[in-house]
Amino acid sequence: MKNTFIARNPSVLWFLAALGLFTALVTIASEATGAGLISTSFVKTLGKTLCLCLIAIAMDVVWGYCGILSLGHFAFFGIGGYSIGMWLMYARTEIIVTESLAGRTIPATPQEVSDAIGNQIFGVVGSSEFPLIWAFADSFWMQMAFVILIPGLLALVFGWLAFRSRVTGVYLSILTQAMTLALALYLFQNDSGLRGNNGLSGLQNLPGMDDVSQATVSLAFFLASAAALALGYLLFAWITDSKLGNIIQAIRDDEARVRFLGYHVESYKLFVFTITAIIAGIAGALYYPQAGIINPAEIAPIASIYLAVWVAIGGRGRLYGAVLGAAFVSLLSSWFTGGGAPNINLGFYTVQWVDWWLVLLGLSFVLVTLYAPKGIGGLFDKLVRKS
Amino acid sequence: MISLLEMSGVSVSFDGFRAINNLSLQIGQPELRAVIGPNGAGKTTFMDIITGKTKPDEGTILFGEDNLSLIGKSESEIARLGIGRKFQKPTVFEAQTVRENLAMALKNPRGPFSVLFYRKSADSSARLEEIADEINLTDHLTRPAGELSHGQKQWLEIGMLLAQDPQLLLVDEPAAGMTAQEREQTTDILKKAAETRAVIVVEHDMEFVRRLDCKVTVLHEGSSLAEGTLDHVTSDPTVIDVYLGRADART
Repeated sequence: MKNTFIARNPSVLWFLAALGLFTALVTIASEATGAGLISTSFVKTLGKTLCLCLIAIAMDVVWGYCGILSLGHFAFFGIGGYSIGMWLMYARTEIIVTESLAGRTIPATPQEVSDAIGNQIFGVVGSSEFPLIWAFADSFWMQMAFVILIPGLLALVFGWLAFRSRVTGVYLSILTQAMTLALALYLFQNDSGLRGNNGLSGLQNLPGMDDVSQATVSLAFFLASAAALALGYLLFAWITDSKLGNIIQAIRDDEARVRFLGYHVESYKLFVFTITAIIAGIAGALYYPQAGIINPAEIAPIASIYLAVWVAIGGRGRLYGAVLGAAFVSLLSSWFTGGGAPNINLGFYTVQWVDWWLVLLGLSFVLVTLYAPKGIGGLFDKLVRKS
Repeated sequence: MISLLEMSGVSVSFDGFRAINNLSLQIGQPELRAVIGPNGAGKTTFMDIITGKTKPDEGTILFGEDNLSLIGKSESEIARLGIGRKFQKPTVFEAQTVRENLAMALKNPRGPFSVLFYRKSADSSARLEEIADEINLTDHLTRPAGELSHGQKQWLEIGMLLAQDPQLLLVDEPAAGMTAQEREQTTDILKKAAETRAVIVVEHDMEFVRRLDCKVTVLHEGSSLAEGTLDHVTSDPTVIDVYLGRADART
């Protein structure tokens, strides 16, 4: 028993137990089971938070373990969301259109049905033609495959070009920012084929499941997100525990030395960059049906910077740190910006948390960097070591 | 003695400065060789060229039984061919344990997927223990490398090189910052390593070179100035001039 995976990584067991308990409590208290202690919208918020935790552990592996400060991982998250969103929107519109055309005496031709769906979806950007990228939008399985394939391929090509030229450090961060910015700007265009700044909407309505209440749907997504987070955590814990985990940490600390040991550093970086991009895509595909809408603003450069801030506050180089950081900061953020925190009236000035939350976040980031470089997770380590 | 490494007519310039100038050198298998020279003689560049960090402008470098050309190969390819390098400053991975450091260096498949699915074998564990014993770190295997003393870090790095099991070992100033006793042990380790492979030691410290008791190459302004036993090269008038730096002043 001394040298098993769990013995070497006791935090995995603790994490899975905590996640299981949390999931069970939320399930019991949700409206879907009748208890109604937690509103459906809050179940959605919690489910979304779990997805953010999933992308945060991916970020922790790529940055905290491998030392690549990617400021573009939210692009992969967004692509995952768009991929599944295309199917959700298409399939649901198809049902609506078919129903409305069913009453006609002359049955609609397939072309008419297709035109009507196109009109519904793209009317908002003044078009009714299906762009080429929607070619497989009617197939759930194809779009699910895209959730994995597109982020994976994009990361593979981008990473290959960047790592092969030995772009490292802050230059690589800037390059990843440029990638996510370019993607966001492209998607903002009306003729990008993804409805420009309107994005994709109505994603919370699952096609053919109108009879199922949102309470049930949101709980199902919450559970799926929890399962994805658990599996993602296990995957990354296994990767970082393997010998590959040693190599990527060595690359973080001294990449030239790793080369002289005979390891092809670029392949390792590419592997880590790509697998974390795929997980980010999956997290996005679970997140946006709960959010209900995705638009290009979601993958603006600032989103990826927030991701880095969560991981830094939570504690780099430890997976549970990333989970803590993402959950803590994103929930706090929605509390402050959602009007949860009472504004403070100082008489001469009123502190509006919607505006001041960012200042508070920035300040705590600076404080964590200066006084607790290992983040919240580092405090945990101290407690464990003392006991 | 078979030749393991053959450099001929190698030159490299940085912004017009010729760091290595028409350098030719042959290393046998096995052999212990010391490379000495004043600051700026091109010792580090010499190592950079062999290990693939710097690409030479001209010349050929052939390595091994099959006389493979090293020019144009990446650092990791050259390392996999069997050339190990020890840096002047001890560079071990401080966040990881001594055992993990050694395990990374052990001769095993180096591809990402074979490493991801790597399982410890009894063979490699035994080899690891053996090396730890050789470098006197058996009791420190589970400690993070960052906690080791300076001398122990130097040894760990030498141990990592031994674990790589290279045919050619390049060692940059191994004795720097070591106590007298540690130096002696380092000499023993290097001599022992050179029984089965080629070892090139770049050194500043004449006393240490004397203890190695091997053939010496004197580098000066990027080319080989003299070659032979230490006594032979130190009695060479041009070497004396270079080391004292008065070649111009006297004429």
